[in-house]
Amino acid sequence: MSTATKSAPAGERLPAQKTSGSSGKKLFRKVEPYIWIAPSVILMAVFILVPILSVFQLATSDVSRAGKIKGFNGLENFSKVISNPSFALVLKNTIVWTIAVVVISTVLGFMLALVLNNKFRGRKVARAIVVFPWATTLVIQASAWNFIINTDYGTLNTLLMKLGLISAPVNWTPTPGTYFAWEIACGIFVTIPFVTFCVLSGLQSIDASYYEAATVDGAGYFQKLFSITLPLVKSSLTVATVLNIIYVFNSFPIIWTMTKGDPANLTDTLVTYLYKLAFYNGKQGEAAAVSVIGFIILLICASTYMIYTLRKGDEDL
Amino acid sequence: MSEPNTALKKPVSVKKVILRLLLYFVVLDVCIITLYPYFAMLCTALKSRAEIFSPNGTVLPITALWSNFIDIWSRAPMARYMLNSVLIAGGSTIIAMLCGIPAAYALARMKFKGQTAFLGVIIVSQMFAPVVLLIGIYKVMLSMGLTDSILGLIFVNAAFNQAFTVWLLRGTFMGISAEMEQAATIDGCTRVQSMMRVLLPVAAPGIVTTLIFIFINAWNEYTVALCLISTDGYKPLTVGINTFNGYNIIEWQYLFAASIFAIIPVVILFMCIEKNLVSGLASGGVKG
Repeated sequence: MSTATKSAPAGERLPAQKTSGSSGKKLFRKVEPYIWIAPSVILMAVFILVPILSVFQLATSDVSRAGKIKGFNGLENFSKVISNPSFALVLKNTIVWTIAVVVISTVLGFMLALVLNNKFRGRKVARAIVVFPWATTLVIQASAWNFIINTDYGTLNTLLMKLGLISAPVNWTPTPGTYFAWEIACGIFVTIPFVTFCVLSGLQSIDASYYEAATVDGAGYFQKLFSITLPLVKSSLTVATVLNIIYVFNSFPIIWTMTKGDPANLTDTLVTYLYKLAFYNGKQGEAAAVSVIGFIILLICASTYMIYTLRKGDEDL
Repeated sequence: MSEPNTALKKPVSVKKVILRLLLYFVVLDVCIITLYPYFAMLCTALKSRAEIFSPNGTVLPITALWSNFIDIWSRAPMARYMLNSVLIAGGSTIIAMLCGIPAAYALARMKFKGQTAFLGVIIVSQMFAPVVLLIGIYKVMLSMGLTDSILGLIFVNAAFNQAFTVWLLRGTFMGISAEMEQAATIDGCTRVQSMMRVLLPVAAPGIVTTLIFIFINAWNEYTVALCLISTDGYKPLTVGINTFNGYNIIEWQYLFAASIFAIIPVVILFMCIEKNLVSGLASGGVKG
């Protein structure tokens, strides 16, 4: 709290010096911040807020196949969506997808961060390599994995056969469920670097003297891990996890590239489902209703995150 | 040279050696697994179509067919896709920065009513990927005549990166003391001048990090481009390379050769900012 006064923004002091200024200047000082934020606010209002409102309007309207709004119809779109048996399946897939990807990538990413936090030769190279999946666009990652696991000509079979681990090509995707599992694996693969780097940033801010003191006191590796490392990286880990929940929930390219949600919605998540509803089946009203449902789920996550971040901000001050 | 000396001084315990070896083993495994898709892509990009589908395939190409990397430029309008990606990513970055810098400046240096609310909105907006709002975005673009246009994509990308831009720049600006700017103001500089001449040069590392990160995000964006763009001549690389991913036949060698062109600039840029980005992330950032 004490540093708050030290880092007080210049704006606070400047008006104080200008108390003798004219009222026009005073008015300008009051309005000025809003002029500075105006471009940003307008940009977000037009391209984020208006689409949000538009989605809500569509969700409660009778929309023709051509996308023309024919009038308000209350919650009819919602009841149509929810009564469709595939929606329950899609929702289940979304939950499985989000939880599996987030939990596994958080655990693995955390472990990888612990490994990379050691000092060893080639650490810089290793860190640079780990960045790769994060920087690569998801469509390309997904195409690559789609190719790798292909039964007939995929390189995983070729590689394992050359290594003598298998004698005949293995069908890696015999059922839609296994295909979905591969999609989850791909999701984990691309999400790990984000977790790793968030945790690494937390780890690097830990004072080494804590560990030294603990070692002097005779603490073992796991004791140090649970009583020093974990509590101190908790905040970076939480930020990473909450952001991941939201990003993974919204992830579209992996599933779209690998299976397009087929067959029969078995690998669909909410976002691929709504994309198909809107742009393949011409059911824009229902698609908008799915959007709103997703939006509400996200809003809950977002407000949790916001409360957490703002509270954390207060603590930092 | 110093290595053997220290080794002589300290008695090396067996446990330490094993741990070291284990560490290298894990790191090596992680690196191999991480690089494997890229390795597979490169090998495939160098094979002929017949070789890829051959029943007794090999891991490495029998003869490296570098011509695939040349062929893609004539097989599909790759140069056009590349140019579009540069335009979209560059345009989004410029607009996001032009809008984001003043907003971040106001948040860092001024006090005004609704400041916390604005910050809250920024954080919440960061949470909404364009996918969920895709229908809404499509409708808005339709009413503005911006569907199927590069300009439309630029605006959407800039808007959805606004949260990150403002958040990261605000952090950068707040980390810089305001004293220099105050001195400049007393010397007769206006606010804009003091920001341009004093603050921005000092904040350059943070600005470059933000800039590159937006560029990468926009370069990698796929979903909105897929939905909004129908004319081949306006497609960015991420959507365009699917030309090789046809309904009946997938030209894997071309798809991956083109993918490698799409990946390389981004990975290089990302490595440049990785260190700065990570410290920015610690204060609540965004993933690509």
